[in-house]
Amino acid sequence: MRLARDGRTVLDGAQLRVPPGEVTALIAPSGAGKSSLLRCVVRLLAPDAGAISLDGVPVADLDPRALRRRVGLVAQTPVMLPGTVRNNLAYGLDAPLSSAAAHDALRAAGLDATFHDRDAHALSGGERARVAIARALVRRPEALLLDEPTAALDHDVALLVVDALRALADGGLAVCLATHDLPLARRVADRCVALDGSAA
Amino acid sequence: MSQAVAQVVAALAFAGLAAVLAARLGLGLGREIVVAAARATAQLAVVGGLIAAVFRVPELAVAFVALMVLAAAITAGGRLRTIAGSRRLAAAAIAGPALAATGLLLAVGAFEAAPRAIVPTAGILIGGAMAATTLTGRRLLEGLRDEQDVIETRLALGDDVRTALRPTIRTAMVTGLVPAIDQTRSVGLVTLPGTFVGLVLGGASPATAARVQLVVLLALLAVELLAALVISEAIRRRVTAPGERVVVPPAG
Ligand SMILES: Nc1ncnc2c1ncn2[C@@H]1O[C@H](COP(=O)(O)OP(=O)(O)OP(=O)(O)O)[C@@H](O)[C@H]1O
Ligand SMILES: [Mg+2]
Repeated sequence: MRLARDGRTVLDGAQLRVPPGEVTALIAPSGAGKSSLLRCVVRLLAPDAGAISLDGVPVADLDPRALRRRVGLVAQTPVMLPGTVRNNLAYGLDAPLSSAAAHDALRAAGLDATFHDRDAHALSGGERARVAIARALVRRPEALLLDEPTAALDHDVALLVVDALRALADGGLAVCLATHDLPLARRVADRCVALDGSAA
Repeated sequence: MSQAVAQVVAALAFAGLAAVLAARLGLGLGREIVVAAARATAQLAVVGGLIAAVFRVPELAVAFVALMVLAAAITAGGRLRTIAGSRRLAAAAIAGPALAATGLLLAVGAFEAAPRAIVPTAGILIGGAMAATTLTGRRLLEGLRDEQDVIETRLALGDDVRTALRPTIRTAMVTGLVPAIDQTRSVGLVTLPGTFVGLVLGGASPATAARVQLVVLLALLAVELLAALVISEAIRRRVTAPGERVVVPPAG
């Protein structure tokens, strides 16, 4: 696929496959277009050319809101919405969120249940990153796209989070991890895809 | 007639005094004061003559109101020029509420249906709508840029654009309406607004002046709220792209 922003070509000829049950790492230097590519997948950006499909169906043919429920995006700088962690997890859900489901999601993201009632704006950067992952998980997505999820984490917590992602993939989730941390990607990913940044 | 002469002489004397004082004090403002005074004299003479004609010929009154809307739309639109077609959007946000309210006030008989009443009433309402349009629009454009990450987060969590932008639009509208609300609640305490002063100087009783001022102020609240709403909706439509996506206009 190809994408230009403000008239500059950001992505050209980028190709990526994210199969279920695997962790796919998207490795590229800063400015190569990782964040842009992930945004295109959930249609927060519209590519200028190329095809992106989910289960063989072009994402452009899917209802954007349904697409975003099926494909979770954890942004590079996770934003906490007003209220508690619970408010964040439950944001915009059609059905009320059970405590059990909230706790499961928090645990899967490497947080314990005590975070449930904390003020989301009073969390550290690393805690926010994990709440953002949990917030995507409560939506039971088929695929999870993570944009540098370990950037705000120290080494130990980063390992905790990638191991959690590994476990999610083993449970059948399609996980795509954008990062420039090659050793970390090697540790967790089934496949590493390089985006060389030559277009940028 | 002697009062008119006295007014002109007194005014010129004040300007002369200011110019002489400025020159004596070496402020270097003497020339500027003379020029400003001359401009004010000329501009007010022209407007005075024009308004006199407008009050005599109703067709001119319509043209004059149209001119006010045009000037207001160009002013507000210029402040929102990062949005395509901003002048047309501003014209809709200003003219719609201001002219509807003027029409309503005339229809219920609150003012006489004469240019003498229509032109100043429409002028005040157009001015208020212009201020609310500019303030709300600018705050909304800033909010769209500053809150890009929050908006994207809401969209990624399944919001449609309307829902994702609601908090940003709400903040912009509140900002846009603060001056109108403050002006309304502080009236008579902090300032005596122009309508009141003008009517009293023109010979109306203070009670009549207060009543007319109240009508104008309360009409302004509704007009400015509607103008803020129209410009917000217009901008929301402009930044909404297919696929529940927001395209943020560039800064500037
Ligand atoms: N909102 C924007 N408007 C225009 N250009 C942008 C915008 N955001 C990013 N870009 C440009 O697009 C290119 C790719 O940016 P992107 O954020 O996708 O890179 P990245 O690989 O995620 O980088 P990083 O590792 O630093 O996060 C960069 O050259 C960037 O300057
Ligand atoms: Mg990035």
